Amino acid sequence: MAGKPVRPANAIDQTRRMLSLVTYLRERPGARIEDVARAFGITEDELVSDLDVLPMCGTSFRGGDLLDIDTDGERIWWHNPAALGAEAAEPLRLAADEATALLVAARAVATLPGLRESDRQALLRATAKVETAAGEAAGASARLSVTFESEGGVFADVDRAIAERRRLWIRYYSPARDELSEREIDPIRLVSVGHTYVEAWCRRSEARRTFRLDRVAEIKILDEPSAPPEIELRDLSEALVQPAAEDPVVVVEVGPGGRWVAEYYPHDSADELPDGGLRVTLRTPDPASLKRLALRLGRDGRIVAPDDLADSARRAAREALAAYDDAGTAG
Amino acid sequence: MAIAKAERLMNLALCLLGTRRPLSKRELRESVEAYLEAASDDAFNRMFERDKDDLRELGLVIETVENLEGEVGYLARRDSNRLPPITLDAEEAAALGLAAKVWQQARLAGAASGALQKLRAAGLPEDVDPYGAHSALEPRIPVHEAAFEPLMLACRDRRPVVFDYRKATAAQPEPRHVEPWALECWRGHWYLAGWDRDRGAERVFRLSRITGRVRSRGTRYTAPVPDVVTVRETVASWAGESADRSARIRLRTGAGYPLRAKATSVRELGGGWEELEIPYGHGLDAWLVEFGADVVVLEPAELRADVVDRLRAVAKG
Repeated sequence: MAGKPVRPANAIDQTRRMLSLVTYLRERPGARIEDVARAFGITEDELVSDLDVLPMCGTSFRGGDLLDIDTDGERIWWHNPAALGAEAAEPLRLAADEATALLVAARAVATLPGLRESDRQALLRATAKVETAAGEAAGASARLSVTFESEGGVFADVDRAIAERRRLWIRYYSPARDELSEREIDPIRLVSVGHTYVEAWCRRSEARRTFRLDRVAEIKILDEPSAPPEIELRDLSEALVQPAAEDPVVVVEVGPGGRWVAEYYPHDSADELPDGGLRVTLRTPDPASLKRLALRLGRDGRIVAPDDLADSARRAAREALAAYDDAGTAG
Repeated sequence: MAIAKAERLMNLALCLLGTRRPLSKRELRESVEAYLEAASDDAFNRMFERDKDDLRELGLVIETVENLEGEVGYLARRDSNRLPPITLDAEEAAALGLAAKVWQQARLAGAASGALQKLRAAGLPEDVDPYGAHSALEPRIPVHEAAFEPLMLACRDRRPVVFDYRKATAAQPEPRHVEPWALECWRGHWYLAGWDRDRGAERVFRLSRITGRVRSRGTRYTAPVPDVVTVRETVASWAGESADRSARIRLRTGAGYPLRAKATSVRELGGGWEELEIPYGHGLDAWLVEFGADVVVLEPAELRADVVDRLRAVAKG
């Protein structure tokens, strides 16, 4: 699945998994590798590596009661389930981290405003049951919380359009140009990474685009079917927008009060300046979009390159000041 | 060849779970092959202590019992390790399946799958691709900050920490001694709330501004932990979202959609201009300047002066 983080093999994760596996296999003689891997959310290779370790395990090395578990590559057989007392194969209670990871995630998903009501109810019921079963282990989960941001109405329409495979019409705000534009898009999926976005095929630009839901000013579900071309879904675990190597370079120098620029803009380098400021070098396909940044920075920073961007920011500031000179007094 | 750690942990776990009486270290050493192979008593002792900690990390409750001869024994009692009965229907199982996938942090992603596997072993219904049939929703919890994991553990175990923190406008980081209470993710960024020992007050820290390592302090909390910790409200006020006043501006027709979306009133002025009343909180001046000549501040005078001041700085640039 796209977006699934790759984790290094970890002895603790594997041990935890094998303990559950033992319980699970005990109830299911001849379980199919494919089914077990899916139930456990792991690859078949990972499962096979667990099956290589299990026969080396038992309640006592000396006693000769190692687990006699083997596989023909398709099914898994456990020939001596009695090697573990009935009690030693019972499901184990949740660890504090396990309860936290599951409960915090479940509570966060439940805050998605566009979540189907029946799904939210199921999630809330499941959360309550897990809290009860986790007991004390659930306590620490209150120390972690996550809020997803998204526009409820827009979210619901996008979600419905995806489910019904329908095209969407949106009026979308572009902060770079400070303008609203109308587009028809074929939605592909909704992604929540801090903000919520819809990834879609944009019919106007004939390209894949990502739209932030809180910038959708208006939305309509159209009657036309959605027909996005087959495209490979990207891993969105990193930044949603990655500058390309061929994009023009912009250099910004900021004082201490403008250091936040390095936190908000993906950049190539940020070098310390003697006054406590930074020299930030970044790339963007559309340098004109950074005029807003130059204006926002005020005395906390300035555009060093390219020149025409620096000029346009100065011009914009002078133009804006003229209005105050003309108006003289407020109102 | 050295025996894989997972095999050693699994054997220790099965021994501790399978016994009805406490097993001494000597007995355990004889029962687990990897321990028999340990080069020395010291090597075994170190390995055993680490392994016990690891098993506790994944939730095993291991008791330490002293017998009449003063020898220490270990066991994992069934009563304290058994998952209480839990019955989830297919819909609930699908919902948890979606939730278990949202973490993008290795430790919590592993823990969430581990939780689901334990529930699976306890009979959680297996479904086809959760939500896949009718929704394309992919929530993700991003964790890019290196300070996240040590702070998460410190919050969990209630351990004071010290870290170097660079305030938004400061060039140099400063060490901060904090009793961490809670972590919260808002708009994709993680924040820590806790008791700042140096300032003797509650503070909220943005994790991306922590530089260097988070170190634990082996001491106790000195301040009481509040029942409810509100990180989000504090951060929202930094972001200027707790406006307590309002401002009047002139906005060019067609420009500044986000300002319009926040406006409490809009009045047509003619000549391609409109007058808006908008909430006035921290940071509004910097935001208004972004719209350049499309915005003119009418009042209050203080905001007008701030905006003019900013524009002059850019014009001189």
